[in-house]
Amino acid sequence: MYDIIIWPGWLAGAGIGLLMVAFYWITGKQMGVSRGYCNLWAYVSKLPFFQQKEYTGNIWRVWFILGITLGGFLSTVIAHPGEWHLHFDMGQAYDALLPNNVWLRMLILFGGGLIMGLGARFAGGCTSGHVIAGIPMLNLSSLLSGMLFFVGGLFAVQLTVRVVSL
Amino acid sequence: MNNIVFLVLGTVFGLLLSLAGATTFDFYAQLFLLENPQLARVIFTAVVVGTVGIWLMKRVHARSVMTGEPISFEKKGLQRGWVIGALMFGAGWGITGSCPGSAPAMLGEGKLIVIPSLLGVMVGTYLYGWIESRRIGGCK
Repeated sequence: MYDIIIWPGWLAGAGIGLLMVAFYWITGKQMGVSRGYCNLWAYVSKLPFFQQKEYTGNIWRVWFILGITLGGFLSTVIAHPGEWHLHFDMGQAYDALLPNNVWLRMLILFGGGLIMGLGARFAGGCTSGHVIAGIPMLNLSSLLSGMLFFVGGLFAVQLTVRVVSL
Repeated sequence: MNNIVFLVLGTVFGLLLSLAGATTFDFYAQLFLLENPQLARVIFTAVVVGTVGIWLMKRVHARSVMTGEPISFEKKGLQRGWVIGALMFGAGWGITGSCPGSAPAMLGEGKLIVIPSLLGVMVGTYLYGWIESRRIGGCK
């Protein structure tokens, strides 16, 4: 198990903030990721929701997600030349929180992903659209959503820790 | 050509997420266990820098480099179900140790355990589309 050399939080955070501003300035659009999953569904689903122009167009969101994947790949290749490999490790913290049985663990992760995807749509955005881009726009709904994101995470993880230690 | 711009912006975002530790599962659990402020620092600084940047762009009436149009800063409103949605999102965020933006970067790093979470996000997104389609389309 290896990881990318982590920058200090403030430095990487400043970089992400600058990227969000550059994104806005270059493209004229608000940066956001989670809507891109609707664009992916627009390719295969006939549901009227996904066939809206918003999702049949705006293919840039799919390219943005592809880029993020490429960025993750590059960071590993650059930080650890020759060591990129596929693996199922999650690290100590989640080994303590989640079941060791890999199928049960994947089922829980699937459920977590499901409520995250559904929740992002009901909330109107995710960490990037609401928190990183929305709050700097002084968007009240983003600030409130961001706070509730954190409350939800606190609740879920703190509850899990207590259940596991029973 | 335009799509390449978004690909490059995404690549930079993915690199930064890796460097921030946003692709390291441990930091998510430690954030919500209040044990390690790495991701809190990342988010806080990104928001502060972003706020200054957006303020500057508004002040100089910035135009989009790609379109030449003045940039519109449309505000999102609150939609039906946002409270429960935001809480659900947060719970999933903590349980999976990832978010819709960092999960693709984790996949790129070779962390295959993020695949069930990504599939979950896809299914959750589909469920919303299904619910909304029934609302839009009446009886279907």
